[in-house]
Amino acid sequence: MAPPPSIAALHCWMARYQQADPEALAALIGALSPPLLRFFGTRDLMSREQADDLLKETWLRIHRVRHTYRPGQPVLPWVYAIARRVRVDGYRRTRRIRIDEIATEMLPEPRPRFETRNSLPAFETLVAVLPEAEREVVTMLKAEGLSLKEVARATSCTVGAVKQKASRAYERLRRLLQEEENELP
Amino acid sequence: MNCRDVERSLIEHEKPGAARVPAHVQKHVLTCKRCGEFMRALNPSIMADAPAPEILRRLEDTLTTGLRPVRPLAPARYFYAAFVVIFILIVAAGVYHLGASGISAMSPGQSIAILCALSASAWLLVYSLVHQMAPGSQHRISPTRLPTAVIGLLALLMAGLFQFQPERDFWGSGLACLRAGGPFALLAAVPFWLLLRRGAGLSPRVTGAAAGLLAGLVTTSAQEIYCPILDASHILTWHLGVALLGGSIGLAAGFAGETAGRRLKPAQR
Repeated sequence: MAPPPSIAALHCWMARYQQADPEALAALIGALSPPLLRFFGTRDLMSREQADDLLKETWLRIHRVRHTYRPGQPVLPWVYAIARRVRVDGYRRTRRIRIDEIATEMLPEPRPRFETRNSLPAFETLVAVLPEAEREVVTMLKAEGLSLKEVARATSCTVGAVKQKASRAYERLRRLLQEEENELP
Repeated sequence: MNCRDVERSLIEHEKPGAARVPAHVQKHVLTCKRCGEFMRALNPSIMADAPAPEILRRLEDTLTTGLRPVRPLAPARYFYAAFVVIFILIVAAGVYHLGASGISAMSPGQSIAILCALSASAWLLVYSLVHQMAPGSQHRISPTRLPTAVIGLLALLMAGLFQFQPERDFWGSGLACLRAGGPFALLAAVPFWLLLRRGAGLSPRVTGAAAGLLAGLVTTSAQEIYCPILDASHILTWHLGVALLGGSIGLAAGFAGETAGRRLKPAQR
């Protein structure tokens, strides 16, 4: 995996992208697409095709609103705020289609099971059991390496609200890991 | 140091690049099996799904075609100034048109309290709207909760400041008040919408509710200055009710816009 670009490089690419520099655009796409795809959670939450679609839609939306990035402001919260919105819209669209096809909400939701019993579950499998708001906070903090302040910016929340969600998520994950351990023969 | 402290420490030390947890927490993690597993489970190093190179190439081609320079959004202070000036100008136009008999009917304490509360509410909504225009802005107040909080606090203040008195013609005087002040909310909604269009409100529902409420507060402010009726039920229904109605219309418009946007496939946009 390529090392994450520096903050200064992201600022510079964004400024050049706003000035219509195709090289800066290519650099941004190359640097930000892998973490964005990871943010959409390819393995447990949706198919790879759906995640690719969301990635494309995110870039189209970034392109459309690129003027709203103010030079000097943090790039990652700006990008993740847009990606988060695309994900919410995608989720709602998918849910509507599913509801149109079959009343899935009538079906009981099975309790999630971790695939591996002897080793620890993968991060994505683990966070897939969390409610949406807590999952995105933990993913941004742990997988994307954003700070509390950056997550707060990306999710339009206060830092206190992010801390609260992270705390609830960690508590829930710890309880789940505990339950899994207790169920081992 | 116990297992709960590890979670707390994890949250307090969420800083990329910095030492994640202090030494005493690391020591506990080394000795506690559950905390060790918990920390390892939160390590996402095994995830490495990369997008297919052809997808990235296609994206580059699509976005590079017709790539034009854009002018970044003006600094937030210009938008603050624009919203505030529009708000004050339209309230002033309302007072000029309708008069200021409400101020002379109220006690100085009531006048100061209600005008300060309305100004503070309008300012908070302007702050929230300006931050919503640029994605990734820092919000010190939750934009989702702000409209409800503003309406709730204003309702409490109005109910506390004014007395509930039996009013002879509740509907007649109320409708007259609404007819006089209502158009100013519509007048304010248009420039507010034009300003907001410059940004990228990612949640049209939340932005719509805040903008509608701000436009409604223009009418509420003008009515407070103009209307001499000091009955709390009149003020709550016909003055604050306009703000609530404005917020609801904004919310509905945002909801409609959001739904319409989702129904369009990305390629159609």
